Amino acid sequence: MKRRAFLTLAAAAAALPRPLLAGAPGRQGLVPAEPPRPLPAVEFKDAEGRAVPLSTFKGKPVLLNVWASYCAPCVAELPALDRLKARDGGIVVLAVSLDPLGAKQAGGTLRRLDVTHLDLLLDPGFTLTGALALPSLPTTLLIDREGREIGRFIGAAAWDGPEAAPVLDALRQGRTLAGVTAPPVVRLTGPAP
Amino acid sequence: MRETTTESPSPAMRASAFLMLLALLLLLAVPATAQTAVTGRFRLDDHDGHRVTQDSYAGKLRLMTFGYTYCPDICPTSLGTMAGALTLLGDAAAQVVPIFVTVDPQRDTAAHLKDYLDAFGPRFVGLTGTARMVDDAAKAFRVRYVIHPPAAGEPDSYVVDHSAGIYIMDRDGAFLAKLPHLMGADEVAERLRPLLK
Repeated sequence: MKRRAFLTLAAAAAALPRPLLAGAPGRQGLVPAEPPRPLPAVEFKDAEGRAVPLSTFKGKPVLLNVWASYCAPCVAELPALDRLKARDGGIVVLAVSLDPLGAKQAGGTLRRLDVTHLDLLLDPGFTLTGALALPSLPTTLLIDREGREIGRFIGAAAWDGPEAAPVLDALRQGRTLAGVTAPPVVRLTGPAP
Repeated sequence: MRETTTESPSPAMRASAFLMLLALLLLLAVPATAQTAVTGRFRLDDHDGHRVTQDSYAGKLRLMTFGYTYCPDICPTSLGTMAGALTLLGDAAAQVVPIFVTVDPQRDTAAHLKDYLDAFGPRFVGLTGTARMVDDAAKAFRVRYVIHPPAAGEPDSYVVDHSAGIYIMDRDGAFLAKLPHLMGADEVAERLRPLLK
């Protein structure tokens, strides 16, 4: 509970300064892909170092979160993803860590957070940033049953909360994200980690 | 005075308008051409508190990026991309120094950088300094940044916008290339490979 208190809804999200500089990795919130975008063949590693191709999950809607231990908002978002996964609402919930030092680093973070439902998945070689075009973390890709990206959420969200439900419903029902109300970006408060 | 604005401008006014237009065009043109003029010179403090310059890493290739570590909402991926590229290079990565230069020296102290960069392995060097030193370094790399005013009552809570990208500097510290921030680790490694001995 303490950690949740650390997250506040960015009520002032609209008041946040927009990135002024072209190329600054500053875009945040829901970015629908219209039309849905086929994704390149990517894979990550499980805790034992075995390759897990993303195509493994074809046929099911997938929420693919990309995080790292050095990214404080990513770490703050993980418990909500863990609770979402525990609920098993017909969506495959994947959280892939980009921790450069791999399983030891990422596994340590999951244990510290008491995250038990999410599987430890890794991309220590940082191949996903290029392949999936990720300028910033956390980024969560919403992937339909055909393995296409229907959109992405840049920044942290309370994925287990009521405000994320419309996006998750659309994903589950195979709809596009056009006109779907997005959850707000959550922002860390308190001292720098 | 109001009426004069409806009259056709005097030759003097026309000339000054022309000069203003010329100045504006020059202003617009300069950043585009200056983009290539990266001198790569800096005088900063490393994360152990040692004063360093571009000559401190003589003989080594450098991968450099500018940014700040305090990211309350989203964090850039460029440092991880650099770490990933070095992993892919294996032993040859010893010829490359990965360097992170903060544009937020107020919060990114040497001690904080040392702690933060730990997550990327022992090779990473963090550079900071006074606001002036950091500003000079940013100018030498044509990096632009804007420190936004802090939130009300929270002097340490502010956002910094900065231009992204990863620089490859040669063994003498001269500019070789600027890679877009969306480049994958594998692509960065490919760009470095021909430069390795």
